[in-house]
Amino acid sequence: MTASISSFAKDQTIRLADVRKSYGDYDVLKGIDATVARGEVVVICGPSGSGKSTLIRTVNRLEEINSGSIFFEGQDVHAQMSGRELNRLRSRIGFVFQSFNLFPHLSAVDNVAMSPIRVKGVAPAEAHEKALKLLDRVGLREKANSYPGQLSGGQQQRVAIARALAMEPPVMLFDEPTSALDPEMVGEVLNVMKSLAAEGMTMMCVTHEMGFARDVADRIWFIDAGQIIETATPEEFFKNPRHPRAQRFLADLRH
Amino acid sequence: MIHDLIAIIDEYWLLLLIGQYPNGPLGGLANTLILSALSIVLAFPFAILLAFGRLSKYRVLRWPVTVLVYVTRGVPLLMLVLWSYFLVPLLTGADVPSFLTMLTTLVVYQGAFLSEIIRAGIVALGQGQMDAARALGHSYFSAMRYVILPQALYNMIPSMLSTFVATIKDTTLGYVINVPDLTFAASQVNNQLLTQPFQVFLILALTYYVICWSLTWLTNVVERRITRRRAGLIAPKRRGQFQTSLTPNATEQP
Ligand SMILES: Nc1ncnc2c1ncn2[C@@H]1O[C@H](COP(=O)(O)OP(=O)(O)OP(=O)(O)O)[C@@H](O)[C@H]1O
Ligand SMILES: [Mg+2]
Repeated sequence: MTASISSFAKDQTIRLADVRKSYGDYDVLKGIDATVARGEVVVICGPSGSGKSTLIRTVNRLEEINSGSIFFEGQDVHAQMSGRELNRLRSRIGFVFQSFNLFPHLSAVDNVAMSPIRVKGVAPAEAHEKALKLLDRVGLREKANSYPGQLSGGQQQRVAIARALAMEPPVMLFDEPTSALDPEMVGEVLNVMKSLAAEGMTMMCVTHEMGFARDVADRIWFIDAGQIIETATPEEFFKNPRHPRAQRFLADLRH
Repeated sequence: MIHDLIAIIDEYWLLLLIGQYPNGPLGGLANTLILSALSIVLAFPFAILLAFGRLSKYRVLRWPVTVLVYVTRGVPLLMLVLWSYFLVPLLTGADVPSFLTMLTTLVVYQGAFLSEIIRAGIVALGQGQMDAARALGHSYFSAMRYVILPQALYNMIPSMLSTFVATIKDTTLGYVINVPDLTFAASQVNNQLLTQPFQVFLILALTYYVICWSLTWLTNVVERRITRRRAGLIAPKRRGQFQTSLTPNATEQP
């Protein structure tokens, strides 16, 4: 543990070292090496089935890995640790799902306030007050008492972002947060993500929203068949993608 | 005919209602309802434990529980009743009252059935809810307690009500080990009258029918409400703003 803290620079929030994972014979991640610096916004893109979801889910250990290591603020995420330690670690990594996964039996404000109360032991009144502020921040103060079933997809995803933020994580992971949305709702979710980035949140986003990548990303990781085959700034990536696969991917997206 | 029925009820209503009580043990309809209610109340937490066992990633838990559930579900209830009646005193050496024997058997039997309903309810929620809770830092049991079970159990209220109806009918089997319930009382009445078995057992059947029919009717009402609520047409009732779903135990009442 001590080695892991000292051997990596402090400003590396996330560091992946030779991360490999397979399902049976099938290698999904074939040696991922990458870092995310504090305050950096990384957009991960690549063809369907290339391992993007798997990759991002290994960062908070929703998926186990076969070898390699992942460090979050110097802590080895996949090391042997107690359930408690892992829960504490996970609570510090915000995660937003493609399918929102709001808790349908709880109102919007309870969705946001529940985990601070139950996981962190925050007093209910305080947690609710904070939840209302977070809902306000994603533009849904007036929907506080609505249930997920009564909200549109875009509204649900914004509540899901507020729910993740309620744990005050230093980093947020997004797995295709707008892919399940009707086109007219994509913008409202991206705007929330943009404002987060503007406030300096460290973010890893799997997304095919190239407009978002161009405007907000500091770096783009292009992943194909379980490997990061290109990392570049958005300007480089869009103007001049080096790898033929990336060129084809961008060409396909434009059509 | 109607006259006979009324005469029997007029004469024996107290026996049918509470058995020999207070001169003997409580029996009759009261005992039937108490036995049913107790079995379902105890079978419910037992079923949750069994469901956890069935879903566990640990084989030492999963396998024995699976065997228990399968055996229990694959054997007629009457066999289980007779087994417990003859085996439990042999094994424990204690003289277990028939009411307790019947209660235990019903709890195990209904618990096995309910556990499969609960398991299906949990599985039906999908992995997403568990993932979301774990990503927020909830432990497995915290996720179960605050996220999975409130939804799974709520969705299962109709199934649980039907299990309750089944339990009421199942209590009649207690007759074979002399549990003093409604059926037992009716047969006592029959033994006293000797000449009117049809009338006596018609009263018995009608009583069971009315109780079970009302509960089935209630089940349908609840089921319709739940369907409408799932469709987002009505919001759940709330006691006070923000508080309901977060007060301890508010979500756990079946
Ligand atoms: N539980 C699993 N068991 C077996 N194979 C799996 C499992 N989960 C994912 N895979 C496979 O791993 C590969 C990578 O999946 P992953 O979901 O990470 O891709 P992705 O890049 O996120 O794709 P998409 O753009 O469609 O979301 C796919 O080929 C998928 O079929
Ligand atoms: Mg994916």
